[in-house]
Amino acid sequence: MSSSNITSFFRQEKKTTKRKNDGGGVAIAKLCSKIRSDLAPLLVSSTDQLRSTKESTKEAEERLKEFDIDMRYGPSMGLTRIERWDRASALGLCPPADVESLLLATSTISHCLWQGRV
Amino acid sequence: MADSEMGEATLERKLAVYRNLDERFVIREERYKGQQFSHIYFMRLHHMRSQLQSLIPKWKPHLPVNTVLGLEEGKECIIVGTLYKHMKLKPSILDEYSKERSAIPLVKPHNFMSTDDHLILEDESGRVKLAGPMLAPSAFVTGIVIAVHGKETSEGDFFVEDFLEAGLAPQVDRPLDSREDKFVAFVSGLSVGTNAFNPLQFQLLVDHITGHLGDENEQRISSKIVRLVIVGNSMHISHGFFSGQTVAPKDHAKLTEPIRELDIFLTQLVAALPVDIMPGCNDPANYSLPQQPLHRCLFAGASAYNTFVSCTNPHHFELDNVQFVGTSGQNIDDLYKYSDAKDKIEFMERTLRWRHLAPTAPNTLGCYPYVDKDPFLIESCPHVYFVGNQEKYETRLLQGPDKQLVRLISIPRFCETGVAVMLNLRNLECHALSFSTNL
Repeated sequence: MSSSNITSFFRQEKKTTKRKNDGGGVAIAKLCSKIRSDLAPLLVSSTDQLRSTKESTKEAEERLKEFDIDMRYGPSMGLTRIERWDRASALGLCPPADVESLLLATSTISHCLWQGRV
Repeated sequence: MADSEMGEATLERKLAVYRNLDERFVIREERYKGQQFSHIYFMRLHHMRSQLQSLIPKWKPHLPVNTVLGLEEGKECIIVGTLYKHMKLKPSILDEYSKERSAIPLVKPHNFMSTDDHLILEDESGRVKLAGPMLAPSAFVTGIVIAVHGKETSEGDFFVEDFLEAGLAPQVDRPLDSREDKFVAFVSGLSVGTNAFNPLQFQLLVDHITGHLGDENEQRISSKIVRLVIVGNSMHISHGFFSGQTVAPKDHAKLTEPIRELDIFLTQLVAALPVDIMPGCNDPANYSLPQQPLHRCLFAGASAYNTFVSCTNPHHFELDNVQFVGTSGQNIDDLYKYSDAKDKIEFMERTLRWRHLAPTAPNTLGCYPYVDKDPFLIESCPHVYFVGNQEKYETRLLQGPDKQLVRLISIPRFCETGVAVMLNLRNLECHALSFSTNL
């Protein structure tokens, strides 16, 4: 009796029901992040493993900063980089695919370069 | 259902197929993460620019389209961007911090225009001041997207020779096969809870619409009313209650009485016909556009009926395939403060030509900071465009270059004028219903 786990009947966390989507007006970001989480394992580049991690992170960050500053894809403050990429993609602006693969790698920063500074 | 007296054959109310299209104005999935308004302007520019770019080849096919940064002095070209109107009389929060005491009073009640106003065109690359007599600043406001043809001058301004607005959006054909008259009634600015509200006058309106007034002929007319749209400011909650401070018990009645009184009238209405109720600037709803539907718990009696529909502001719906779009007046009132036109109907026409319901949002009109859309863009031209809480009843039938036909209606405040509006779905004809209790 004493060895049984108390948390099995005394929940530590509230049981939350998934909010049903009534259809219509689904934000682009949410839909894309769902598709992306299904596809993520397939898209990480294998060449990253060969280079030293520090170098590749620096290069990745440079590439992402370029993406942040590029005015064709709209303002970068106030959304995560992946949301901005998804928005640009949904608008048919063809954002670069290498940026997408960089963003899927978990080591990159999710917010734009000005986040927290402005 | 309007019953006739003495148990004769019941007169049945006409029905119309209704589709509520407010989904794009409902704030549901959006999350505020500290974003600013630059995104909504980006979305607006992107969308309008693609529309304008499809129209430019028909307008001036031989001129190149440049970005603002790509302008060369003396080279004739076309640029597309968002207009910004610089107005020195526009109240600015920074004026409160300026060291000098300015002679201009802090807030001018009616209009902030001045002869010094000038226009600037802006796209992602930069901005340029627009010069020349073609664009009169008094007819434009900040936030609209246009294309301008001209060239850069030696002073660095862009001299405008011609400009292009998007014009009326394409319109879905209105069904022309209806043979019977069906009416939609509009009323606005009831202001229950103020001294201006006359309960007898509103009761007359309610009785007329529900068919409890008049003889069989009049009841027959009332039975053709398929829907009532209440266009904002149905009640007036004193703005002192919006300050966020606790309401003293003795003041509770002042807060709840108007709501309860309105609910009593509404229950009579929804028992008889479908009613759409929109929030306005004095209703207990959020301040910024799009205003979210008034909560059902405010209307304990009326919300029990399935004919009661609480709508957003702006409101978009379809009745028997006729497209209706309307607002409670904030968009047009804001245009009135920052630009000039011969009447309110002209402001309404301009918003249709600019393909945007509220171009001054978010500059001078409160608006939600959307990140991936601008819900006020007009993609398809409506058949009926109505605006509430105006001074007087005005209407015009607007004809577009592509066979679009729009009925524009300015609905007056009922508490001041006693006037409601009736629209015939069959032919888009409009007339006023006037109620008076003066003997």
